[in-house]
Order: sequence, then C-alpha cells, then structure tokens
Amino acid sequence: MKWQWLQEHVQHPKDAGYAKRVLDRYRLGMKAKGEILGARIIPGSRDCAVAQSLANKTYLPDDAPIIPIAQCTLPGGCMCAYTPVMTYETERAPVEEVTAEV
Amino acid sequence: MIEAIRKIPLYMLNRKFGWPNMLPMNITISPSPRCNSRCLTCNIWMKREDELSLEEWDKVFQSLGKTPFWFTISGGEPFMNKDIVETAQSIYKHCKPGIINIPTNSLMYKIIAPKVETMCRTCPDTQFIINLSLDGVGEKHDHIRGIAGNFEKFELNYRALRELNLPNLTIGVHSVISRFNVDDVEELFDYAFGLKPDSYITEIAEQRVELDTVGISITPSKEKYGVAIDELIRRLESRDFKGISRVTESFRIQYYKLVKKILAQETQVIACYAGWASAQIYANGEVWPCCVRSDNVANLRDVDYDFKRAWFNPEADRVRKSIKNKECHCPLANASYTNMLMHPPTLARVGTRVIQGSLPVINGPTKNAAATTVATTPKA
Repeated sequence: MKWQWLQEHVQHPKDAGYAKRVLDRYRLGMKAKGEILGARIIPGSRDCAVAQSLANKTYLPDDAPIIPIAQCTLPGGCMCAYTPVMTYETERAPVEEVTAEV
Repeated sequence: MIEAIRKIPLYMLNRKFGWPNMLPMNITISPSPRCNSRCLTCNIWMKREDELSLEEWDKVFQSLGKTPFWFTISGGEPFMNKDIVETAQSIYKHCKPGIINIPTNSLMYKIIAPKVETMCRTCPDTQFIINLSLDGVGEKHDHIRGIAGNFEKFELNYRALRELNLPNLTIGVHSVISRFNVDDVEELFDYAFGLKPDSYITEIAEQRVELDTVGISITPSKEKYGVAIDELIRRLESRDFKGISRVTESFRIQYYKLVKKILAQETQVIACYAGWASAQIYANGEVWPCCVRSDNVANLRDVDYDFKRAWFNPEADRVRKSIKNKECHCPLANASYTNMLMHPPTLARVGTRVIQGSLPVINGPTKNAAATTVATTPKA
C-alpha cells in the first residue's frame, strides 16, 4: 500500500477541537459546491470494534460520529481520523448517509 | 547561490550527526489556505485559520535572517492575500533570498501582473518565479480546477506576465499529474511546451495532510505515471537548453526519475532533508518540517515569532528522527529538489549531463501548433 504510511501517520490521539474543526471544513466545502460528499472515518485500530463499525460509511458533517469517539476502549485513546469523501470516489464506496448513534 | 551551495556539507553533517545546528535554506510559507479554485486534487480551500498578520510575518522573517535561499509563498491562492506584495518585500528586507517562488491559479489575472511587477521592481536582487497552474487544455483544465473559464484566464495571465519582460522574473508553468489527466498528458505537454515558458514543471498528485487529501484516490497508478513521465523525460532530453536552464532541466530529469523510483520502491530513495534543509510555516504560525506530514513542531506565536526556538526543540528532533528512520516517503517536489542538492550521486549525474551538453532544446517544434497559437494570440 503506497500511502499506508500516511494513513497510519494521521492515526494519533486528537484534541477536543478536532471534530469541530474538520467537520466545519467539510460543511463549508459542501456549501461552497466543492467535490466533497461527506466524511469517512479512518479507524485508529483494527482492534477497535467501535471504530470498525463506523468505518466504510459516508457521513454528512452534521451526522458524523465525533472523534475522539466516546466509547473507544483503546488503551492509548481514540486514534481515528476523518477523511473527506469525494464525488469521484462514489464508485468505490456508495454514499450511505448514516445518523451517528455514538 | 554560492553561499547556499557552500552550506550543503553542513546540512549533511547536521543530518548525520546532529551538528552543527542549521536553519533551513528552503522555506515555504502559506499565509492563507483560502483559495478560489475547487480542484479535484486539493481540499485546502475549505480550511479557515487564525492567520498570522503581516506584522507577525515580519517578525518571523527577521528571526530567519539571511539563511534561506529559496522562499515559496504558497496558499491557497497566494494572490488572494491582499498583503502578498508587502509579504514579499518583508522577506526581501530581512532575508534577501535568491529566489521567491509563487504559484498561482491565474483566476485573479487582472491584479497578478501589476503585483508581480511591483514585487520585481522593489526587490531587484531576488529572482521571482511565478508558476502558473495548468492541469489540462481547455475545458479539461476547468474541470480539474473546478472553475469554468479558468483556462482562458490562465492564457490571459500568462500573456500579461510575459509582457512585463522583467530581468528578475521567471514565468513557469506547473502541472499536477493526477488520475484525472494522466491519460491526456501528450496534449498537455504539447500545449505547455508550445507556450515556451521559462520553465515547465510537473508534480504528481499526492496525498498530503496539508491539503486534506489523505485517503483520497488522486494519485495516478505508477504504471500510467511511468508512461507519462517517460514521455516528459523524452521531450526534455531531446531539447537543447542554454545557460542556467541546462542545469535546472537536468535537475528536473533527475527529479522525474526519482519519483518513479519512489513510487516503485515505496521508500525514501535518497535521504530526505525535510526538517533540516527545508521547512514550511503554515497560516496559523505552525512550523512543519514538511507539508505532506504536517507535523506541528511548534507554533511561532508561542515562541515570540523566533523561528530558531521553533526549529531547535525536542518535538522537531522527534520528527527529524522519524524522517531519518524512513518512516515516511513521498515525491514532494519542493523537498525533493533540496534532497537532490544534498545527494552527491545526483549532483554528479546533473553535472555530467550539463557538461556533456546532451540536453535539450527548449522551444523546439511542437506537435500541436494550434494550441500554441491559441496561447499566444490576444483575445478579443
């Protein structure tokens, strides 16, 4: 995986303002007619069942689970990250608007 | 330039032994992430930051002193920054760099040439490189950049800058090769070379924390990129560059070959000097060794705008150690050119090519004469 190192690089504990900062950005991107469809979660660990259950879905910014994920049980804390989902990626992962229950 | 070259062994010592402490020779600043493009390959325009003021930047440049040789004023779109002329003047006043490089999307073409002229005339001992983004020909460019009419503005901007005819102005064209245009590079290269820019640069679209493109599939396959870049190398090698262009184009050929190797081997093929010889200062004052990882080693606001205090600290050392341990690899052009300067075998290859004079013929015949005409004929 050519860029795996970079995905792993962004998997570190996030500060409390991370979710608002990123989701505000995506909200603006959608409002300003960018090519962004929403947010996806890069799970912080394969061992985190909560993160795995939230991955591979596209969330609208208002509905996205908040990172750090409250139910995270990883010893070092939640290491998930957001990534934008672009219109041209829809063939890879269909948009599935999900209301966060986390 | 000679002063910068003399420092190369010191950077090599610094990276290997941690001594002597060196400030970077290559600084990229991003005064604002705001951008009026909506590129498929970049999401920086969505960002909003508590940006450093001109007065704050002035303190930063003062702390950097005369060490940096190469400055890049990046963005977002740099010309959306109302203080861009004053920023360049502040850099000139405190740092007197050899080069100030500014990319632009050309959308604000009416104000760009006048501002560039002011910068060039008020900073006469610095070479300005204005790189105009071009990712496709005609509507393909507009599609990738997300703005209708962008291609036409590119042409108007190019022509206006050409008419300035200033001795310390280099006009370049810069293309990002992504999955969106990798199949159209012949047309793109025909057009770009036909313009006869002072330099033509391509860079591969890559994932970067700075651009919020981590996890997005924008990078072309290494097979397709290889075909595209072989075509570019073939064109460069068949042209006869003169003077300093012979050196710069030799570096470019080495860079393109390096990118192919990095993609194939998925590691740092030559040692990366991000964190030693190159650095980036983000809009909110964060200091990053590079924009791909965007590790925040310190915020200049927290250290009284003293770059040395931000650069020489344990967190910066931690990131340097990670880079040195090859925990990352990327083909970022800005850092790669610095890395090649620090790599004797690459320098030897460049030197051999320059001496052999086997290079290139800029402004040679193009396949697409019509595209050239479009680019150089004034519009009604």
